[in-house]
This record gives sequence, C-alpha cells and structure tokens, in this order.
Amino acid sequence: MRVDGAFEIDLPREALYRSITDPALMAICVPGCENIEKIDPTIYRAAVRVAIGVIKARFNLVVEVTQETPPECVQSITRGEEGGRASQLTATNQVSLIDLGDGRTRVEYVSDLSVTGRFGRFALGIMRKKAQSIANEFADNLRTRLVAGPPTGSNAVAANNRGQSE
Amino acid sequence: MSDKAGLFRPDSLSEALHLLATVPDSRPLAGGASLIAMINARIVEPAALVSVTQIAELRGIRVSPSGEIVIGASTRHRDIAEETRLSGTLAVVPDAAGQIASATIRNMGTIGGSIAHADPGLDFPPALVAAGAVVEVASTAGRRRIPIVEFFVDWYATALSPGEIVVAVHLPKPKPGVGLYLKHRRVAGDFAIVSIALSRALDGETHIAVGGCGPTPVASAEADRILSCSTSGAALAQAGEVLTALADPVDDVRGTAEYRRLLIPRMLRRAMFDAAAKSAA
Repeated sequence: MRVDGAFEIDLPREALYRSITDPALMAICVPGCENIEKIDPTIYRAAVRVAIGVIKARFNLVVEVTQETPPECVQSITRGEEGGRASQLTATNQVSLIDLGDGRTRVEYVSDLSVTGRFGRFALGIMRKKAQSIANEFADNLRTRLVAGPPTGSNAVAANNRGQSE
Repeated sequence: MSDKAGLFRPDSLSEALHLLATVPDSRPLAGGASLIAMINARIVEPAALVSVTQIAELRGIRVSPSGEIVIGASTRHRDIAEETRLSGTLAVVPDAAGQIASATIRNMGTIGGSIAHADPGLDFPPALVAAGAVVEVASTAGRRRIPIVEFFVDWYATALSPGEIVVAVHLPKPKPGVGLYLKHRRVAGDFAIVSIALSRALDGETHIAVGGCGPTPVASAEADRILSCSTSGAALAQAGEVLTALADPVDDVRGTAEYRRLLIPRMLRRAMFDAAAKSAA
C-alpha cells in the first residue's frame, strides 16, 4: 500500500532537515509517538500508539535510515510489531525536501507500507486513510512546533496528544 | 479474550455502568453480531464483557407523549424492521433495518451495538442521519443527548467517552411522506458498497444520507435544500454533485473509491424516483 503526499512549511531547507532528523522533535510531532531512542547512528527505536475504533495498539518500531543526502532526502525502512505479534508492519519510506526559496520548503513523502495481522484483517481499506491522517497531523504538529513562534510546553503536549485522543 | 476474561450480566443499567467504569478493559456486549466475531478473529481481546441485553429499560420501542419515537439500545434489528409506528418519513429506519446482513444477524444485532461500532458500511448510520435521530448515552457521570451527525466522528469512532454506552435512539415524530433505504451490495447479506437513505415529507422537505462512502454518513444541508425545493433532473444532478464532493470512500474488496463516487449520483436519482413512485402509490 502506497501512502504519499506533500506539504509546505515556512522554514529554510537546511533548518528543516536538521529538525526532521532530530529524534527528540520527532517524538513530539509524530502522532501517538511515546518515545524515540537512538540505538546507533542510523537506527532508532520508537513506540507509537495507533487506534482504529475498538483496536488500540502500541507498535514497537525499529527505523533504519538507509540513505541520507543532506539536506535533500532521507530514506528509511521501518519494521515493527505490536506486543504479542498481533500485527506486523513494514514500510520503506522516502522524504524529500525541495527548496522553494524565500525560506520555504516543500516536503514530499512516499511510503510503501504493508500491515498484516489484526489491523490488516480488520480494516485494510481504512489503513490508507488512517496513514494519511497521521501524516497530515504530523505536518500540522511540525508547523506548530517550528513555525508558529516559540512553543510553550502545553502547546507541544496538546499537539502530541491529538494523535492519541482516538 | 484471555482465559481469565470475565462475563458480567447485570440486571440494571446503573450496575452495568458501574462495571464499565470500574472493571479494567471491559466492553459492553449487546447482540454480539460484531464484537463476538471480532473476538473470535482475535481482532480485539477485551479482559471483560458487560452484557446489557437483559436490562429491561434498554429494550423495546415506545412513543413519547409528544409523538417522539424512542428505540431502546438493545432493540433487535428484526423488531425495528417490523415496527409499523416507524412510518411516513421515518420508514427509512425499518427499511434499513430489514436490509442488514441476514435474518440470523437481524435476530441478534441491536441498534445500540450497531451505531456504537460505527462501521462505515453499516446500514443504520445513514438511515438515522436521514431520519434526524438523537442518540441518548449514559455513564456513571449521567446522561446526555448527541445529535446523530455529531455522534459519528471518524472510521469506527463515535462521540462516546470511555465507560459511556448508548441507551436509546430518539426519532422525531414521523411526518406524512416517504422514507426508504436503497442499498447496493455485492451479494445478499453483505455490507453496502454505497447506500442512500432518504426521508421525504409530503411538503417536499427532504433529507438524504449516503452510506459506505466515508468515515461517517455523508449528508449535506445544501443537498437537502436543493432536493426539498425541486426534483428536476438539474436539481438531482446538482445534489448528487454536492454529495459526491463530500464523499471520502476507500478502495477495498467491495469496490474502488472511484466506483463508489460514480454510484452516488446514480443511486440518488433512483432513490428519488422510488420515493416519487411510493408517494404516488
């Protein structure tokens, strides 16, 4: 299943690149993300909560950065599963940053995602919509955090919690 | 469910609400048409189930002194399908109930369980939107009423808070007119690919909701206004366009999103013709 999209943000490309490769910031901006831990220079471990209706899951993910071309492109592979192996997830991802001039950048992302297990059985058609809504929320969170002035603690928490409220 | 899963069968609503508030990871169980199937498929594994079907106050259909029709949350689909007081503009509700899945499931499933599950392919959600329902919910904190369009919030997500259950569905006093539910499905007993719920009063006031085409039933005050004023070919096309633009269907085994979008205006037209034929009869 392919999930792709793009958004624009009022930030120069170099600064944005530093931000999206900063695990602490990503932990705040990725909807439902509980923590991101750097294991070695290219491997991160993350825990992310996802809910679709009655299914509420916590995925333990390992993200391996396979190629970095600063400040243009990051490629990665995400693998993970829910506790008890109830669902498994694999994704190959590419994020590209395009300099639009005037301190603005366009972010293009594409991910080839496969989900098996209970999520796959229950609502495969809806997974794409869910993935897209997570991506949109991430873009909003990133904007709130990076562009809309110095964030206060409560704003950052509010932005992060939106992804968990379902 | 784990081996240690518990089943509670409280006799009163207050007891059920207390259990749901205090037993960790407990879920209300009504007819079980969806929940038991999901447990069997190991899609959900609740630690405890609180059965609500033996609670008398949640069962049955009654008419309030003002003429409002109140359907208890554990009322079975079959009983709703056969209810003659749901007539005129409210006939859309029994028409939808009679087209849910198979007779076996209509004998088990309940209206409260159906809407709380909020599957986008279900038949009750669009029918209740067209009928202008209000959902009454309760928890240990008390009761509240939620207009049906605010009740459905996303794919499989409702405005219910944790520990809160549906206790009744309130329908306005029926007006003389027509209500009908047009369902397009692959085979008998399946979920809708696209469905149209229609409620049209004799004075022309029309309410339409589309099922199977997004996270929640697709309805539009503008489409309703267009169809309430005119049923010309141009009006039908315009209302169809408005509804199609609001739809956000998925690609799945039942059809592509594109196919579903193509069906909306065609099925709307057919539903309006059927309604005209029914009123003439």
